[in-house]
Amino acid sequence: MNVIDWVDQRLDLTEVRHFVAEKGVPVHAQKIWYYLGGMTLFLFGVQVFTGILLLLYYRPSAAEAYESVQFIVTQVQFGWLIRNVHSWSANLLIGLAFAHLFSVFFLKSYRKPRELTWVSGMLLLFLMLGFGFSGYLLPWNELSFFATKVGTGIAGAVPLIGHFSLRLLRGGDDVTGATLSRFYGLHVAILPAIATALVALHLLLVQRQGMSVPPGVEKALKPGARLPQMPFFPNYILRDVLAWYVVIAVLAALAAFYPWELGTKADPFAVVPPGIRPEWYFLAMFHTLKLVPSHVLGIEGERLGVVAFAVAALFLVLVPFLDRRASRGESSRLFTVLAAGGLIYLVTFTIIGHYAK
Amino acid sequence: MSQVRFALCGLCLLCGLVGAGAIDSSAQTSPASATNSCVACHTTQADQRLANPTRLFAGQDVHRDKGFECVDCHGGSPASSDKASAHDASGRIAAMAFRGKPTGQAVIATCARCHSDAELMRSYAPKQRVDQAMEYATSVHGKQLAAGDARVATCASCHGAHGIRLVSDAKSPVFPTNVAGTCATCHADETHMAGYTLADGSALPTHQFNDYRKSVHYNALTKGNDLSAPTCNDCHGNHGAAPPNVGAVANVCGTCHTVFAQKFATSVHQPIFDKGCVECHTNHAVVKPSDQMLSAAPSGVCQPCHNGDDKTDKGAAAAVAMRGGIERLKDEIDRSATLLAGLKNAGIEVTDQQLALREAGSKLTLARTEMHGFDPLRLLPILADGMKIVAAVDRAAQTGRAELSFRRRGLFLSLGAILIFVVALGLKVRQIDRRDHERRSPSATV
Repeated sequence: MNVIDWVDQRLDLTEVRHFVAEKGVPVHAQKIWYYLGGMTLFLFGVQVFTGILLLLYYRPSAAEAYESVQFIVTQVQFGWLIRNVHSWSANLLIGLAFAHLFSVFFLKSYRKPRELTWVSGMLLLFLMLGFGFSGYLLPWNELSFFATKVGTGIAGAVPLIGHFSLRLLRGGDDVTGATLSRFYGLHVAILPAIATALVALHLLLVQRQGMSVPPGVEKALKPGARLPQMPFFPNYILRDVLAWYVVIAVLAALAAFYPWELGTKADPFAVVPPGIRPEWYFLAMFHTLKLVPSHVLGIEGERLGVVAFAVAALFLVLVPFLDRRASRGESSRLFTVLAAGGLIYLVTFTIIGHYAK
Repeated sequence: MSQVRFALCGLCLLCGLVGAGAIDSSAQTSPASATNSCVACHTTQADQRLANPTRLFAGQDVHRDKGFECVDCHGGSPASSDKASAHDASGRIAAMAFRGKPTGQAVIATCARCHSDAELMRSYAPKQRVDQAMEYATSVHGKQLAAGDARVATCASCHGAHGIRLVSDAKSPVFPTNVAGTCATCHADETHMAGYTLADGSALPTHQFNDYRKSVHYNALTKGNDLSAPTCNDCHGNHGAAPPNVGAVANVCGTCHTVFAQKFATSVHQPIFDKGCVECHTNHAVVKPSDQMLSAAPSGVCQPCHNGDDKTDKGAAAAVAMRGGIERLKDEIDRSATLLAGLKNAGIEVTDQQLALREAGSKLTLARTEMHGFDPLRLLPILADGMKIVAAVDRAAQTGRAELSFRRRGLFLSLGAILIFVVALGLKVRQIDRRDHERRSPSATV
């Protein structure tokens, strides 16, 4: 009697067996994009695992944070690897999350009945950006300190609640040890709790509704014909695992050849060093805000920019409800053009922001 | 009756015009030009020589800000609208006598009237010195003036006459960054300086300003914004301006370069070098010192006295020994820094080693300082300490290299294992797909 039989006798795994036997994944030319979600989920797991290991040594105070990270990368066995993997994995995770977002956008996978899957995915992307923003400060080095000062300063430009948001984020008027404590709590407790719930919901919806088939592929099917299916277990899951291994290889190579620099310890009284900029995933927004004139039609430029980004984010969340044509199974070129425009904007401004002085 | 009224008026005016006790707080607040006939009349003059002073004085001027008026320096009667009585030089009341434009010693006397009065200055600028006129009398300028030379600088030549600003004002001609330019107005002017000679009878040069602009001091002052960097008055004095005496140069330089001066004072060169530091570093064109200077070869500064080719020249041998030790430590530090930079770039934490290397750099600086005692034996323990630090850093760097090598080997092994697993997984997937396909095909044909 093996373990599964042992469990089956006690819990009755008939439904699970049925699910495993029946679950299939549509096979078509665009199925490659299905793997992006799995890879993103895998990296989330890597983050949780390496994050827990880092927690064992990290000390969240302005006096000890930098030294504790220094201790991790120099004294702890394989501490350097864990820290480098955590840093690189965070960046790959956000990169893959964006790729997943755009693949779903272009394939119109958000259309009815998957609106909630899209909304939960969008909220997860915002949470990942929150993870990135809060985690960036934790090593308490010079770059992260001043970048957080700039970033939280932008939050201060939000109309009506700007000053409140700034003080809420910083734990005061300036970036101090209180900010570090808040960001730590946010990074290791609040965001993970929400993210876990949202990931569970997202996966549940995906399992419940199955994989979406692109409208073009659906239209090309003859009436009454069904798309060929690939069994989820083991055919698809093995492919997923294969993709995860590729991700592990990339992570290991990046961690060993391009280690994440620790930099110098933050000094709140130091002069702002040149070249302060946020992480790459905020660069497009940061550079756009830099280009906005100080005043537009009598309104403060930065404030206007922040409002515009908030509207764009809201628009993204509501895309399934706005794109009525896609919901009816009709072609919706306007949203394809909008997605392409958004992608071009993000890539261009990220590159320009990277090279801008 | 009219004489009594006149005397009363004169007394009132006197109170508002001259003398320490006469300049009270009410003067500070009263608008200078409200009833001032000097301003009213001179402002409208077509001759700019007459109009400019009122324009400048009406702008930013420290004296005007404190409530002083034209009459305080020039005399005359600002209450009178009649030109003749306003400029009455006979002055029925002596203090009211029109003095016109002071020149030569009169400038010193005019300024000293207040600036040498400790009691008066206390009420305006309590921390300001009151010995400027006395110092000036000891300066070359003061002595020349006393000898009847009217071309030398007086107070107004440097501070200006109207529109005078505080020394701490960046626009003041005597603000640290402007001092050299102010001195150069005369001292770089060949025509103006013609006829002046040095103690040895040679003509007073006019290239000092150009030399100074090449110096490390000028760079620090103007480009590094280091207001403590020396300009003309820091070495020559300001009010008591004079060239430092031969033998006093080391003291002048030692004001800032204290440790160097102490080392030099114990050296064999101290009794020999007439011009002290200037012998090697020059005076106005002091360039950034380099290790190349320490050589009896043509590139160095030891050569005029020492001969590098002469094996019996102990001075040349000492220069070679000191330079050799310094160069060795410098090379070792550079080599070790490159090694650490490579390790850091590869992700090995080397902060402690980099800090230690900074300590070795301090030893190098210390050796360069000690060199001013010109005794190779005194450098040896310092250089040895520096080399010991570098050796310790090197040992730590070797450990770092081993760690890096271990990481890379580990990575290749891991990647190899992953690759094997990926290939195996790929084959397994293909096998499963083929099996599924075969399983579906017979049923399709049934």
